[in-house]
Amino acid sequence: MSTFVEEKPTQKLESFKGVKKVPHEEYYTSGHRTCQGCESAQIMKLMAKAAGPRTIVLGSTGCMYVANTSYYATPWGVPWMHTQLGSSGSAALGAAAAFRAQMRKGAMKDEPINVIAFCGDGGGADMGLGAISATMTHPDYNLLILMYDNESYANTDIQISGTSPYGVNTSFSTPGKVKRIMHHRWKKNMAPLMLVGHPTCKYVGTISTSYPLQAMNSVRKALSIGGPTFIHCLNPCPKGWDFDPVLSFELGELAVNTGIWPLYEVENGVLKLYGKTEKIANGQFKRLPVRDYLLKQGRFAHFIDEDIEYFQSKIDEMWNKWLVPGIIPLRREIEADEPR
Amino acid sequence: MGQLFAVEIIYRGVFQKTLAKNITRGIVLAAHNEGKLGISFGRYGDSPERNGIPAKSFAIVASDAQTLEAGMAQYEPKQVDVTVVLDDTLCKGAESWAWYGLHPVHQALKPGGTLIVDSLQDAPTLLKGIHRRQEPYKLGIVKGVTSFSGMWVYKDDHTDVRILGAIAKALPAVVSLASIEKFINEKLKNPLKATSAHTTFERFTSMNVKPGEGNAEEPFSFQLPKWNNMRKGVSVNGQPQGGPYADPVTKEVGGFRPVRNDKFKKYSTRTMRPVVNFETCTKCTLCWLNCPDASFDVTPDGKYDANLEACCGCGICEAVCPVPNCITMVAETAFDGNASQWEAFRKDKAAYKEWLKATVQPAGERSHGFRYRGQYKEQIPAVLEIAEKG
Repeated sequence: MSTFVEEKPTQKLESFKGVKKVPHEEYYTSGHRTCQGCESAQIMKLMAKAAGPRTIVLGSTGCMYVANTSYYATPWGVPWMHTQLGSSGSAALGAAAAFRAQMRKGAMKDEPINVIAFCGDGGGADMGLGAISATMTHPDYNLLILMYDNESYANTDIQISGTSPYGVNTSFSTPGKVKRIMHHRWKKNMAPLMLVGHPTCKYVGTISTSYPLQAMNSVRKALSIGGPTFIHCLNPCPKGWDFDPVLSFELGELAVNTGIWPLYEVENGVLKLYGKTEKIANGQFKRLPVRDYLLKQGRFAHFIDEDIEYFQSKIDEMWNKWLVPGIIPLRREIEADEPR
Repeated sequence: MGQLFAVEIIYRGVFQKTLAKNITRGIVLAAHNEGKLGISFGRYGDSPERNGIPAKSFAIVASDAQTLEAGMAQYEPKQVDVTVVLDDTLCKGAESWAWYGLHPVHQALKPGGTLIVDSLQDAPTLLKGIHRRQEPYKLGIVKGVTSFSGMWVYKDDHTDVRILGAIAKALPAVVSLASIEKFINEKLKNPLKATSAHTTFERFTSMNVKPGEGNAEEPFSFQLPKWNNMRKGVSVNGQPQGGPYADPVTKEVGGFRPVRNDKFKKYSTRTMRPVVNFETCTKCTLCWLNCPDASFDVTPDGKYDANLEACCGCGICEAVCPVPNCITMVAETAFDGNASQWEAFRKDKAAYKEWLKATVQPAGERSHGFRYRGQYKEQIPAVLEIAEKG
């Protein structure tokens, strides 16, 4: 039976078997004008390294556009093009379709070329959500959308985005004397949104730059599996989160170890937790208190114990009450089973 | 036309953003007390700021409205009466976000103007970094620990008012100490800060720097390409792939050195640099893999050498290095130039070991922003003590 889906082969990118097997070549090198300790630049470097030379990258507006590629300054070693803030999805789909047309016409060599579009949390979780969603429903085109998430519009000096955490201090939510908490929305759960909403999408993953090998392997899997894929990466931002850049790596680890940022991938519908998240889920590792994570960041400096407790209770809820702990917020009927 | 004065503050982006703003705001509000008019503003090209990348903030003060308007008719002051450098590591030159190449810190300073540096170093040490120039100027030091904080939490260690006191001494015509004290008492409502400003005013002195005195190095510059140098489709060339390079001693070729952008070096962003003990390096790859700036060269013998033209000094390599004391971040004031540490190590291991010992051991803790809640409160008394002793 014909499905009428026109699939094209992808590059077969094997997972790196260890840090010593990671190639030396850089496709995103020095010369970007990001902050000291910028983890968003770090994921660009890892992503480009993982994807290799036969890749084109499209970038929607955000730090990774402005700080990387204004005028003649560029760290990119693979072709890169800017796309509008909300259009990483359409740009990726369009580029993949254009490649197909060019190859069909014989205008270029018929070979699998990785198409990656990145977006920040503002470009992805807020403005570009519709376009990314539409792209995720096109099974014919091989592409990856990578959302680097620094939990704010960091380029324009830290405004609230859909992924800003509860209570955070930003340019739009300065704590006041009367009202301490000016942002009371909970972070958008992007990867599960992509996963649950787009049943034909073959790969959705979350990564962290503090686990670089897994992050690169996640990118390689997403590019190899075929069809539209989505990766959400949490990037500690020394500027907007207000911490000493030396802590960039540690905060990425803490986000995982406190259970705030679960690491997992869903490959053809099969969920696999990895790293510390897997250990948290099977009880081998006790989640660290979120206090450890929050108190290292100036953006939470206005929190009083009550706020930290509330934050902790929401994380506990995520792990104790959700049907798929840490990931899908459907409730188990746990209160009925264990009356207090 | 009346009198027009301009003061510029060169500071570390984000880390000293609030501090710089407080100073320029202070100048303008204090000058109001004398019936002068003024405006304070950040350099447009530096916005949005990035952590550590040198930025500028200005205060323009005029004797009347018309003069102020005339002064504001330019994009930014081309010539200033006083330049304040809030971090002494900036004395080696500032390469701003706005992509101008490396500028000497006194680039905009008028002949005979005053350069004020917040530092614990003495003038001869600072002049090793400050580039030489043809016009004479004055150099004055406000002795103090460099004040770093972040976007949201401000470290109120009196650096703002101490700089104001120094400006009043360097150029009383722009604003007097009495006006500054009035501003502090009325607007900041902190008599202790007024005392700090007063003490700095009393102590501040400046020395004359003669033409040609200072760092002889040519600051890094490049020809700004024009739009018509771009390729078809308004595109520009990407970075070519790097490759192996030769060991300076054995001439053995190996390792990997990435090609780096030759128009933005980023090293003037650095306040600390990684110093590597190559003898204890286990070749674990972590510093190289986790560097957001791809600043590590893989050496022909499989070690990792921080390329100091690309390194911006975040310290992640030190944080991820599993070997104790293999990578140590050391304050940038201890160094001249950006030469490869690995090459020095290869050429003379014994000398490198000595150098390492001399460089790493005195390396004190350098606060680079918010690490934990309550940290600034703990740090402020020690900082104020140093300030008081002068």
